[in-house]
Amino acid sequence: MDDDIQDILDSVSRPSVPQRTLDLQALTRAWVNERTSPELLPYPSDLVERVMERVKKQIETIEDMTGTADPKSNFTLVILQTELERFKFLVRSFLRARIAKIDKYPHHYRAEALKESQATLSTPSPLLSHLEQQYLQSHQGLLSQHYHSSFLSSFPTALQKLDDTAGGISMVDKPEEDSAVFCRVLRDAGSVEIQGATSASEAELRRGDVFVIRWSAVSDAVKRGDVELI
Amino acid sequence: MALPLPPGLTPAEVGFLCEMELVTVIPRQRLEGLELLGGPTQPMIPPFATPLPLWLALLLKKQRRANISPPGWLNVEALTHILDFETDERTADVFSPSPRLPQPTSTAPLEEDPYLAHDALELSPPFLKDAATAQAQDDALPYHWLELSHLLLTHAADDFDDPDAVHRLLRDLREVRMSKLRKGFRVLDAGAGVKMNGMGGMEVAEVRGFVGGVVDGLRRINRSREEARKEEEAEQRENGLGSSNYRDDEDDDML
Repeated sequence: MDDDIQDILDSVSRPSVPQRTLDLQALTRAWVNERTSPELLPYPSDLVERVMERVKKQIETIEDMTGTADPKSNFTLVILQTELERFKFLVRSFLRARIAKIDKYPHHYRAEALKESQATLSTPSPLLSHLEQQYLQSHQGLLSQHYHSSFLSSFPTALQKLDDTAGGISMVDKPEEDSAVFCRVLRDAGSVEIQGATSASEAELRRGDVFVIRWSAVSDAVKRGDVELI
Repeated sequence: MALPLPPGLTPAEVGFLCEMELVTVIPRQRLEGLELLGGPTQPMIPPFATPLPLWLALLLKKQRRANISPPGWLNVEALTHILDFETDERTADVFSPSPRLPQPTSTAPLEEDPYLAHDALELSPPFLKDAATAQAQDDALPYHWLELSHLLLTHAADDFDDPDAVHRLLRDLREVRMSKLRKGFRVLDAGAGVKMNGMGGMEVAEVRGFVGGVVDGLRRINRSREEARKEEEAEQRENGLGSSNYRDDEDDDML
């Protein structure tokens, strides 16, 4: 009985959540997902843009307040600055985790980004942000130039490629899609197939469940928001 | 530039996450509402309890501007009750249940919605309502129980009735649950898909390396068997249905 009333109260009080709070929740989710997944996830460009805009404004506010040097507002300033640093940490750690993945599998992600740009004109969440794409291109350009000038040029021409796939063996490293991840189910999401050594089975994803599971089994559900990584 | 850490949150990062939980603060002096980046805070007017994020509560506590009232499950009586459940023989292979989940509030995203669209964002710890406030459910441990109680006991021990007893109970709980976890490792295999309901955030961080390593290692060892099985199944399907577009995985360089 009490539960029912609580549920009704919860559903009524829900719409008053300000957008800023939702953005914090979304950014936190993005950060945890990115830190724990073996593969690069889509880039939430609108979200990061909104957050960065607000961070910039907050820095201006803090600078204004420092100017007035009122001892009373001093403590407020400490709080604002602490929160700002927490936000900056979130964004920075999120972006750095992405760069680490891009650096680890540059050829793979370059090919993926190319495939994506050919398939669609523009998506709200591309795999790589504009800056990340630029970084990937110029970093790879520098690297291959360096390899060429230092040793590749003395190899036979047939062996000079860095992304050779001939002979059934690909030189392009890929992230391990089957590695195990910890995840939590947020919405009932049907069942997924679990491949074992001797047999395949199915697992039901129900709200509230925590699983250790292969990334490939839940990656789509994570992108949909039905499942989050922990 | 790039983050030099392997996938998975470090204990410090789990602590950071935990500091976003709301706790109940009893102010000792006035402070007007603040416009923070993560949303406005309520004004503090003594002696009325105010919900604030843990990091802010700790900041106020260190400056003696407020007291933190511990969540409902963080006292001797509630913890003893939970410990009884954990040590009961009948529930020897499960964790004590997590707090009740609220009804889901979001809907599945549409095809064109971006990743992490607001409408499709289902709340989870550390943003679940009343996990660590004074109104928290008193018979269940929330996701961030270990981190949260550690932080509160370190920085706000004087807000507890009996901090030493609470500390002892928490240590017992931690040991019981860890030994349960270790026993549970027996079911790990190459396929993963192991349900581990009720696990806390710090516990996940603690066993991630081991569990991930075992599951990934077993998968690598069993890969040829798994592939042989899949091929066999695909063949059977092909024979049964007459047509199939099954292709061998071209990137397969392990065989």
